[in-house]
Amino acid sequence: MVRLRIIFENGDPERVVEFDPAKAPFQHDGLPGSILDVLLGHGIHLEHACGGNCACTTCHVVVKSGFEKLPEAEESELDLLDKAPGLTPTSRLGCQAVLPNNCELTIVIPRFTINLA
Amino acid sequence: MSAGERRVYEGRITRIVRRAPDTRSLFFSLPAGERLAYRPGQFISCQLPVGSDILTRPYSLASSPEDEELEICLNLVPGGRGSAYLFGLGVGDTVRFTGPWGSFCLDAAPEAACIFVAEGTGIAPIRPMIARALAAPREWPIALHYAAAGRDQVLYAEEFERAVERHACFTFSPVLDGSLRAVIERTYVAGDADRSRHFYICGVGSIVTELRDWLRATGYERRAVQYEKW
Repeated sequence: MVRLRIIFENGDPERVVEFDPAKAPFQHDGLPGSILDVLLGHGIHLEHACGGNCACTTCHVVVKSGFEKLPEAEESELDLLDKAPGLTPTSRLGCQAVLPNNCELTIVIPRFTINLA
Repeated sequence: MSAGERRVYEGRITRIVRRAPDTRSLFFSLPAGERLAYRPGQFISCQLPVGSDILTRPYSLASSPEDEELEICLNLVPGGRGSAYLFGLGVGDTVRFTGPWGSFCLDAAPEAACIFVAEGTGIAPIRPMIARALAAPREWPIALHYAAAGRDQVLYAEEFERAVERHACFTFSPVLDGSLRAVIERTYVAGDADRSRHFYICGVGSIVTELRDWLRATGYERRAVQYEKW
């Protein structure tokens, strides 16, 4: 099982979802089992203008804890993160960061994105 | 603008143009007084009501920011719910979308030779980028290598051929035999030691990331190799 705590920088009440990653995909956008897949599949909005195809940064999230549990980002994700507003050392794209089994993560969904990337 | 407050546009289809077998362009107009400010190469994110879902589907703008209408150019994807929906629309129908999005763009005048590499409908964002590059006051060498499955699938071919006649700096090379990587290697890696060129690559297959990795590994700077893979 995976436990994912989601903090919204815009002040929305935080959410916690627990799920079995073996049941991925939970819907149709982003990599199966990715943060985007899990959030959308549990009724939690996360912007994804490119449809979860790793072509923009609107699903940018900041991992507050558990970052080291995630598989390393590939070149395409790193190239896009390079252009993300509010980039941090623990930033990931929700559509690409696949949650492994038996982990606990806390992520923050930033308040702002820019209408560019 | 915060998440959830995206401006949603409603484009009305004004024209549908067949570009190739199972490939067409949809032209949109916005309500009077509205205009989408975008950079050459950016995309819009269409919100398509298919069944009980709202599908999010990105489509690069094949039009230039100066054009009156917005244009997207798409394939009918086998089993693709989004493209099937759009192919079912007619003139006068509307499509809701947000945008513009994406950082794969060429806005300012080029500062080096520009090599554009497109595969299939990956030409859509490249087309306005080339138009912008050719409009720049200084004429750097600009090349387009365009891979397609056949001559009839080289989209906008006449337009690019006319551009060759008008701009001595522009070369247009359709690649119809699957040798795209070999062409790029022969011309821009084995051919000389110049690594100052800027690349803009767009397509749907693994060729996009293969070319990216390979160009960067052979001496081109990371940011000199821009790409978008759909």
